[in-house]
Amino acid sequence: MRAFTGEAGGPTLANVWALLRDPAQRQAFWNSLLLGTLVGLGGTALGLLFAFAATRAGLGRAWRLALDAATVLPLISPPFTTAIAMIFSFGPRGLITYHLLGFSGGSAYGLPTTLLAETLTYFPIAYLTLRAVLAGIDPNLEDMALSLGSSRWQVFRRVTLPLAVPGLANAFLLLFAASLADFATPLILAGNSFPVLPTQAYLQITGLFDFKGGAVLSFALLVPAFGVYLLQRFWVSRRHYVTLTGKAGAQTTVKSLAPWARWPLLAGCLAVAAMVLYFYALLGYASLVRAFGADETFTLAHYRTIFTSGGKAIRDTLIIAAIGTPLGGLYGVVVGYLLARKRFAGRRTMEVVTMLNYALPGTIVGIAYLLAFNDPPLALTGGASIIIACYVFRYSPTGIRATVAILQQLDPAIEEASLGLGAGSGTTFRRVTLPLVLPAFFAGLAVMFIRSMTAISATIFLVSIDWTLITVRILENMTELALGAAAAFSVLVVALVFVALALIRLALRRLRHAAPGEMSGVLGG
Amino acid sequence: MAVGIRLEAIGKRFTHPTRGEGWAVRDVTLDVPPGQFLTLLGPSGCGKTTTLRMIAGFEQPTRGRVFLGGRDVTTLMANRRDIGFVFQSYALFPHLTVFENVAYGLRIRKQAEAELRRAVDEVLELVGLAGHARQFPHQLSGGEQQRVALARAVVIRPQVLLFDEPLSNLDAKLRVHMRSEIRALQERLSITAVYVTHDQDEAMAISDRIAVMQGGRIVQLGTAEDIYARPATTFVARFIGRTNVVRGRVLGREGGALVVLVCGRRLLAGADEAPADGAEVAVLIRPETVELRPAASDHDSAVIESRVFLGEKVDYVISWQGERLLVAAYDPIRRGTFAPGDRVDVRLPTEGVRVLGDEPAP
Repeated sequence: MRAFTGEAGGPTLANVWALLRDPAQRQAFWNSLLLGTLVGLGGTALGLLFAFAATRAGLGRAWRLALDAATVLPLISPPFTTAIAMIFSFGPRGLITYHLLGFSGGSAYGLPTTLLAETLTYFPIAYLTLRAVLAGIDPNLEDMALSLGSSRWQVFRRVTLPLAVPGLANAFLLLFAASLADFATPLILAGNSFPVLPTQAYLQITGLFDFKGGAVLSFALLVPAFGVYLLQRFWVSRRHYVTLTGKAGAQTTVKSLAPWARWPLLAGCLAVAAMVLYFYALLGYASLVRAFGADETFTLAHYRTIFTSGGKAIRDTLIIAAIGTPLGGLYGVVVGYLLARKRFAGRRTMEVVTMLNYALPGTIVGIAYLLAFNDPPLALTGGASIIIACYVFRYSPTGIRATVAILQQLDPAIEEASLGLGAGSGTTFRRVTLPLVLPAFFAGLAVMFIRSMTAISATIFLVSIDWTLITVRILENMTELALGAAAAFSVLVVALVFVALALIRLALRRLRHAAPGEMSGVLGG
Repeated sequence: MAVGIRLEAIGKRFTHPTRGEGWAVRDVTLDVPPGQFLTLLGPSGCGKTTTLRMIAGFEQPTRGRVFLGGRDVTTLMANRRDIGFVFQSYALFPHLTVFENVAYGLRIRKQAEAELRRAVDEVLELVGLAGHARQFPHQLSGGEQQRVALARAVVIRPQVLLFDEPLSNLDAKLRVHMRSEIRALQERLSITAVYVTHDQDEAMAISDRIAVMQGGRIVQLGTAEDIYARPATTFVARFIGRTNVVRGRVLGREGGALVVLVCGRRLLAGADEAPADGAEVAVLIRPETVELRPAASDHDSAVIESRVFLGEKVDYVISWQGERLLVAAYDPIRRGTFAPGDRVDVRLPTEGVRVLGDEPAP
């Protein structure tokens, strides 16, 4: 890594020392940790609230769909959307601070707004993780505890919660890592008073053209990120209590929640969901008025702008997504199959390397790609291929993991049955294995597409005049204070992603009879 | 056309992640004549499934040879052996309909479409699933899935049919029903079959011959009657049917039978081998052969310790000369029962008493 290279090109630690001595950068490091911890705690709490409501409150189908809808929005949104909405709400002419509360000169920048925006953006990750964990806890265990004389509260505290502890820890770590790596939200909201590492690294490189400083700052980010990775791999993964038995156990309804407790639980969820929806409604509204907060006459001017001057970004993004999505989906299935079914030298290494691209903060990956491909013979910087490569390698792990999960659940006897009926191993793969991992392929496609449309942290270092992205244009609009256009871009991205997801879901439904495929892997920044 | 199966001294070495190296199958030699239904019976870990998988070609034997119809197939892959295999988990293709599951083997064999439809419809009719052709496996009950697996295995008219505990996921009633269906189908198609189970009732009900396995070897091979009436070892006796095994001492011989001292009484017992006089031996007493009568006197009588009424029989545990014996008395409604604490006289007919070939347990 460039971080250790001195002026003369020899290895040195001087750069790292320089960083450690600079109080401003040290402040950024601590700020990043503080923000990550708070987002982790807040997001996990919200996630637990939602997950508990979804799995334990005995909700009907419609309610659960509503919960899912409220949580899926932040997952598929481009960066900045909550940030934009925060400015609209709490800025100097903000809807809440100015119009409702009558403050003028209120500031939307700093820790509180950054924290709120990131928590609302990332809590769905915790929700998805914890919902799976809570749903996996056999309700018979809770029945058992009740029959032994525990009160409902005791059941929650002594049975449900301890069983969910690994899940809670995992959710916290995921959120901590996501916040640590998040670059878009603090860039807009944190401001000068609250610098964090990813934004500092970005400013070093794009503002001061100081590649080395950027690399060093990213490297500082690597330390806590690596710590989180180790904790997840060696602490959390060992503490998974498998209470699923595979047997279709006696059907029991969940009784661990007192009827009266449903209402505060639901009210809490509804409040959060309302906040999320409010942000998006605000975004849609802002994209349709001349200047939010000042001149609120209806206009389509922002959409005209993005389709004319922003047309290239839209076209480029779609081209890159169109090439990267099938490539990444395919790559995920092939690598997943190799990892799950074949024994070969270097399998472990392959597993770690594929996950590494995913676990590293985006800014590090972006800078690494930039440095690695900046010089001949691999001078790819500025082209589309480097962006596509970055997407494929960075966002394929969802597809890989989904493939591995399906193959691990797939009884090897199914493939043997095909063999016994006279099919060779090639025919068996084509006629049996491949159709069964299709759900994983589609899950991989979905994530690839969503990320191709919404990612920024890694690719902002890779765009050029020739190839640019919608997300980068949103950032430019934000810095030029063209908030209306930024909002319009965001609405467009959300709409595009929704259409793509609907198509993939449709394709999946036609395959529904195949092995159950999980679509819940839409994680990570 | 049925073919025979021959295993010549096959063994399979395995490496277990935690238990290290070992032999799953040590030395198995076996001849299954064409059209016969043979069952490999034994507790889990005895090597029966590994033996079956070596016949199928899913595992390669570490040593020894496998012959199907006189042809050495030891190194042949499973897809070249022309077998029908029924898995414990059924292993139906979840993405294919019932029809396509059954048709799979025929499609691999590039059977013409009309011919294929006729063959699949016929076999679905045979297993009673004619109306389910368009359904998917997960829409079927366990018993129906089992029938699809069976149909899929027989539709290709394999040389041999192999079953790996196919009924263990079904409930008890269905198990009894399905085993007679499997047997009827095998007889009708006259295909040589090897069947693996740990359930002795199933083995006795379904097989022409049973091979009892223990520790990677066949310890006894014979018909159900052979094995039940003349078990070779304590292990076989305990595994097939319910058993009392008590200690005895050989006193001499009388006609074709051994005279043994059991519980202080001289008994006549059958035996395969002839241990020396004075030898300590394990003696098998089958519970249903013991006859109980109300005690004439206290001399040499036993006491009923417990009684379980089961309808067609009553199970007693009796205490007799320091030994506890299990006794099964049939037809209790007509013959009356004893109560715990009753004193009874015990009669042990020669047919129910047998000296086993191994050392008595200490």
